[in-house]
Amino acid sequence: MTCKKKLGRNQKDTNADMINLVDNVNRDDDLKYNRRAFLKTAVGTSVALGVATIPFSVKAMLGVEKDYERVEIAKLTDLPEGDSVVFNYPTEKDPAILVHTVNGDLKAYNSACTHLMCPVFYEKEQDVLLCPCHAGYFDVNSGHPTAGPPQRELPLIEIEVDNGIVYAVGRQYRHG
Amino acid sequence: MGKKTCWAIIIATIVINVVMLQWTVEAFLGRDYEILLTYNVISLVSAGIALFAYLQWRKVEYKKQ
Repeated sequence: MTCKKKLGRNQKDTNADMINLVDNVNRDDDLKYNRRAFLKTAVGTSVALGVATIPFSVKAMLGVEKDYERVEIAKLTDLPEGDSVVFNYPTEKDPAILVHTVNGDLKAYNSACTHLMCPVFYEKEQDVLLCPCHAGYFDVNSGHPTAGPPQRELPLIEIEVDNGIVYAVGRQYRHG
Repeated sequence: MGKKTCWAIIIATIVINVVMLQWTVEAFLGRDYEILLTYNVISLVSAGIALFAYLQWRKVEYKKQ
């Protein structure tokens, strides 16, 4: 007579001999995702991160900036104090802003915020450059960040005024 | 060098390389090319150390008893 409490040989969770041998249905994963595989992946990650810095150095060595062209930005008569005008310099892909400050100074910077590249605007009331995306503030006289997430200054566009016309003649990345 | 030491070294190199990559990108965008090269060298040395630690670990791990 068989014990009724004992599970049938082929039923789930049985303790019958030679049945639990097939319990490890995840054995393929155990072979793939183990301690040794983890360490090998970690080494691969570390090496990949190290190698990922190389293209920046290569591009930095190749990308020495050439001489800048002299480009007309605006006529002074079209730019009253407290006003600004946007332009592109040195290429069409580099947006920039020329500001005639409330103090009468002319300042020009590349207008892509150094945080996440949103365009900055001139705030006449506060006499600052403002990036509205994450409330980044830049000093209009130096281009350096004064508040918010940006950590670097805006690239300075060197300007010249000739016969009432403002020209862009160069650019400085780190200044002041 | 023991297995645990190798593990510690490899994890440490990952941390270093993540930070170096971040700083490299920052230096590149800010046109700080001299410091960029320094970060680059540190990162590559760190990757080399990770590889060396892995080879040491493999030697110990797969050694026949």
